[in-house]
Amino acid sequence: MAYDWRKEEYEVTRPGRTRIDYRQEIGRAHVPIGVERGFTVVDAERAETLRAWVSALIPAAGERPAAEEVGAAEYIDATVFLTPRLRGVLLDAVDAVDRIASEMVGERFAVTGPAEQEAVLRAFEANDPLDAFPMVRDLTYEAYYAHPRVLEVLERETGWRYEIAISGGELEPLDEHLLARMREVPARYRKV
Amino acid sequence: MADEERDVLIVGAGAAGGAMAWSLSRRKVDVVCLEQGDWVPPAMLPKNHLDWEVRARRSWSPSPNIRQWPSDYPVASYGDDPISVFIYNAVGGSTIGYAGNFWRFAPSDFRVRSLDGVGVDWPIGYEEMAPYYTINEREMGVAGLAGDPWSPSREPLPLPPAPLGPHGRLMIDACERLGWQWWPTEQAIATRPYDGRPACDLKGFCPFGCPQGALATVDVTYWRKALKSARNGVDLRTNARVREITLHPDGRAKGALYYDGEGRLQEVRAKVVVVAAGGLGTPRVLLHSTSARHPDGLANSSGMVGKNLMVHVQTFAIGRFAQPLQGWQGTWGGAVSTRQFYETDPANDFVRGFVLSINPGWSPLNLALQVAPWGAEHHAAMDAHLNHEATLFCCGEDLPDSRNRVELDWDSLDAHGLPGVKTFYAFDDNSTKLGAAMIGRARELLDAAGAVSVRDFGVSPPLGWHLMGTARMGDDPATSVTDADNRVHDVPNLFIADSSSLPTGGGVNPTSTIQAVALRCAERIWEMRGELG
Ligand SMILES: Cc1cc2nc3c(=O)[nH]c(=O)nc-3n(C[C@H](O)[C@H](O)[C@H](O)COP(=O)(O)OP(=O)(O)OC[C@H]3O[C@@H](n4cnc5c(N)ncnc54)[C@H](O)[C@@H]3O)c2cc1C
Repeated sequence: MAYDWRKEEYEVTRPGRTRIDYRQEIGRAHVPIGVERGFTVVDAERAETLRAWVSALIPAAGERPAAEEVGAAEYIDATVFLTPRLRGVLLDAVDAVDRIASEMVGERFAVTGPAEQEAVLRAFEANDPLDAFPMVRDLTYEAYYAHPRVLEVLERETGWRYEIAISGGELEPLDEHLLARMREVPARYRKV
Repeated sequence: MADEERDVLIVGAGAAGGAMAWSLSRRKVDVVCLEQGDWVPPAMLPKNHLDWEVRARRSWSPSPNIRQWPSDYPVASYGDDPISVFIYNAVGGSTIGYAGNFWRFAPSDFRVRSLDGVGVDWPIGYEEMAPYYTINEREMGVAGLAGDPWSPSREPLPLPPAPLGPHGRLMIDACERLGWQWWPTEQAIATRPYDGRPACDLKGFCPFGCPQGALATVDVTYWRKALKSARNGVDLRTNARVREITLHPDGRAKGALYYDGEGRLQEVRAKVVVVAAGGLGTPRVLLHSTSARHPDGLANSSGMVGKNLMVHVQTFAIGRFAQPLQGWQGTWGGAVSTRQFYETDPANDFVRGFVLSINPGWSPLNLALQVAPWGAEHHAAMDAHLNHEATLFCCGEDLPDSRNRVELDWDSLDAHGLPGVKTFYAFDDNSTKLGAAMIGRARELLDAAGAVSVRDFGVSPPLGWHLMGTARMGDDPATSVTDADNRVHDVPNLFIADSSSLPTGGGVNPTSTIQAVALRCAERIWEMRGELG
């Protein structure tokens, strides 16, 4: 139950839709997280842009790493490696981000400052008919929030005990005294 | 190709098919079951892995279109409120990814036409269902407490209720403050070691696979026993996709043609055939079983096969609290629920009602995708929400409407060239008003619990994990597909018993009722064995 499917941009199948729905496309593309890997689809120059892009989505803050530090760009690359139909979408998007950067600030995206990067990404996000932006964002969030380094920091900083989901935990059993009022209520279901 | 004639053939090894196979096989009936999916190996369960949240969006996605298992078939969604369809095709059916929120219907749920002038009455009532609910609760292992004044009196449940957790306490305090009814929710979870299964250790996020086997998914409950029961157990054939139900020249069901794991066509013959392929799978098989005698599909003289699709009016309302809430653990079948607004209230502008059940908050990735904007504000949003939320599952009744339906989709085929399905769905006025009232009450409850803010998912697109009504039971052959015993009006030895059988869906999660219907049908088949051969 990945409940984000109900976000506004979630689209169920409709007739006449031509753009590739990356959410369906990546269904069979599982990429392990926290594994050292290089790039296979994205070349070195575009890799630089993609790294900067993911870190603009989730920047470093205190102990929390930036997304590029946990391999989010490589994760995206590995995902589109497994989904060839999405490779073009990603490569075009990276190029578009660099093109907008050069038009707006006269620099490559990777070397411009945080405020400029944000402006560039907002401009791209606003005009993204192929859904590349949400694809990069969602994959970045995946790479980030499934990474052990991030989960450990989150536990320290928010108390979220991620390992309980794997190893189990304990809670107090129900105290039936709490039901005192309810037990006094006469039968209330509708008779037929 | 065909082997010897068996007593009973069941199509589908899900919630209903599993219950039925167990019930018949313990009476020494020779049962063969054809299931298009396979057993789910432990390694496939997301919760056996640290990256379970990602796996839940990939190979474990509840959408067959996303995960694309070999057993899946394409499902397209149309209509004003196109359904987000969530089903699993495997041994255990959709229970392998369910939450175990396990309700009996209320007596009024079987009589909505007589009581409220809407929908249809069931051909059977609560009293007839009660013994089968009890058997099912024992066999599945249901946790809870008898004594809820909002339910008819009943025998004790086999297992004590699950722990409340901080979110459960918040809900109880809020209900007490508001003077609303509340009760620990019945959940199909082994809260103690039960029937060979270990106790729940509260890993939470139950639908992402229960490595413990404490969640009562049908692969670990009925199937474990059905395979061991008398007469060498049920002959469960996996990776066996039924193409069509076959008929004898006299019109009686003969068996089924299916594709085996290698894609070869096989045939099974049986004295009795039961279709239990789920709310979409059952009409798919029937509509595809055409012949000169049944050009519009088998069992379809009423034209009702595939019609009256119901999904419930559902949403989640999420409260954010100042204090931390240990959201990483606790069951997801709703620790505590209120049925304060379950029955029709003449003061409302709608009929029928809803339940509200409390669960913990979301896990990091799901939460980030829901609430955390990208960029500079990202971490602050996560800090505000992670471990500070409680999630109210809201479920209300929608009513049968023949425009809401399932059709074959010849534009999207499965791996065997069989058509996928198209669903068409739109909420009617009653559902729309009920949904608005449900969200209003959910917000009121979370406010009373002290939430600093509340968000909700809205009711559309509908969460499509309760897919009901598409081959309904009824007394009138002109408006229903089967009779009260789940016997097809048109074919005397063909039965349909699963979620498609439900004439109306109540306002609660339906699996307990689906299985009770299946157990009752199994008993009827046993009682009719002389006539059925
Ligand atoms: C994410 C999720 C959460 C849920 N949570 C809850 C909950 O908390 N409480 C609750 O009550 N319900 C819940 N449900 C719903 C519950 O799982 C279903 O109501 C129930 O499983 C339906 O039972 P069924 O027997 O009708 O269909 P299923 O259990 O889906 O079984 C149908 C079976 O038939 C097989 N089949 C279909 N077509 C063919 C064919 N042609 N040949 C061979 N085999 C075929 C399928 O592969 C499948 O295994 C949830 C469902 C999901 C997906």
